Amino acid sequence: MTATTNTRRWDPVVKLTHWTIVAAILANAVITEEGSAAHVWVGYALAAILALRLLWGLIGPAEARFTAFPPSPVRALRHIGEIRRGEQAEHASHNPLGALMVYAIWSCLGVIIATGIAMAGFPPQGESHEEDRPAAYASAEYGEESEEGEEAREGGEGHEEDGMEELHEVAVNLLYLLIVLHIAGVVFETRRSGRQVVLAMLPRRR
Amino acid sequence: MQGRARKLEHRATAMTIVVALQALAAAFFLADLAGDLASEPADGHLIVEGIAAVALLISVVLGAIQIRHLVLAARADEAAVAVARGALAQLVQLRFAQWHLTPAEADVALFALKGCDVAEIATLRGAAAGTVRAQLARIYAKAGVASHTALLALFVEELIDTSLLHAAGTEGEKTA
Repeated sequence: MTATTNTRRWDPVVKLTHWTIVAAILANAVITEEGSAAHVWVGYALAAILALRLLWGLIGPAEARFTAFPPSPVRALRHIGEIRRGEQAEHASHNPLGALMVYAIWSCLGVIIATGIAMAGFPPQGESHEEDRPAAYASAEYGEESEEGEEAREGGEGHEEDGMEELHEVAVNLLYLLIVLHIAGVVFETRRSGRQVVLAMLPRRR
Repeated sequence: MQGRARKLEHRATAMTIVVALQALAAAFFLADLAGDLASEPADGHLIVEGIAAVALLISVVLGAIQIRHLVLAARADEAAVAVARGALAQLVQLRFAQWHLTPAEADVALFALKGCDVAEIATLRGAAAGTVRAQLARIYAKAGVASHTALLALFVEELIDTSLLHAAGTEGEKTA
């Protein structure tokens, strides 16, 4: 471990999952149409990669594990104090503020994935394969027709789905806010410590 | 020597891509399976599908453990090389001081240790080949050896612990 103390760098799993999640968020924010099959599949891919990162948090090398960056407000406050006093502490993993950001983003993604699956259902089967909207398939099972258009569905299922959709959107907007804060944090930390925070996450180090 | 660490890192990256793809496939199978289970009763086909999905999940976990080994091996390799380099530098300094080499002789001796021959050392130092040959002769005399190879062996011999090599077995086959 002595080699990692001077220049922190992330292992390939952390790097790959980070950038795949970035790509998935960008794809679903910009490219795919909301609720389309592609949107749902990208969401599933994101869930798989996030699950891989969480698995890595249990079995990965020391600095990638959850134990290396516990979500601790106390440590985060102490870290803010360090920043105020202009101290430079070495962190083998995420710094305490970064750790809070990591958990915030992961929880946000968790909510987005859960509500997404609740709306889209598991991937459509058999005859409904051509269905563009898995959600329509899910509600059709309950005998509801979606002829009125997706927005105008009635009944408890419809209400529930509206709530899910709202939650999904709120979580997504929160995620965008967190991403902006995350990038701001990286820029701030790079300027403050002169450490190449970004380089540590790029495929080719140095 | 650094190349070995780099190679291990590349292998870890390749393995990461494989495991990520497996994770994607596992997610697809599990979602598909959950969808199937919701719409139809479990039959033989679904059970087999479920077993396949679980097998894929297990391979993701095992693959991840494999990546961890590769990542740690690459780091250990780098650390070992760094330690060996530091230790050798110390040993060289120590011996040169013990032999009372002059600064010029120490310079020549270092080039000799790096594997340079008389002509190369002469061009590197901008000196005549005769001068270098004379300096080398004095260095050999002070070190108590008769040849360039013997001088090299003096350092290598001290750094190789044969008992460790036997213990490491096949692990240390590429020490050069």
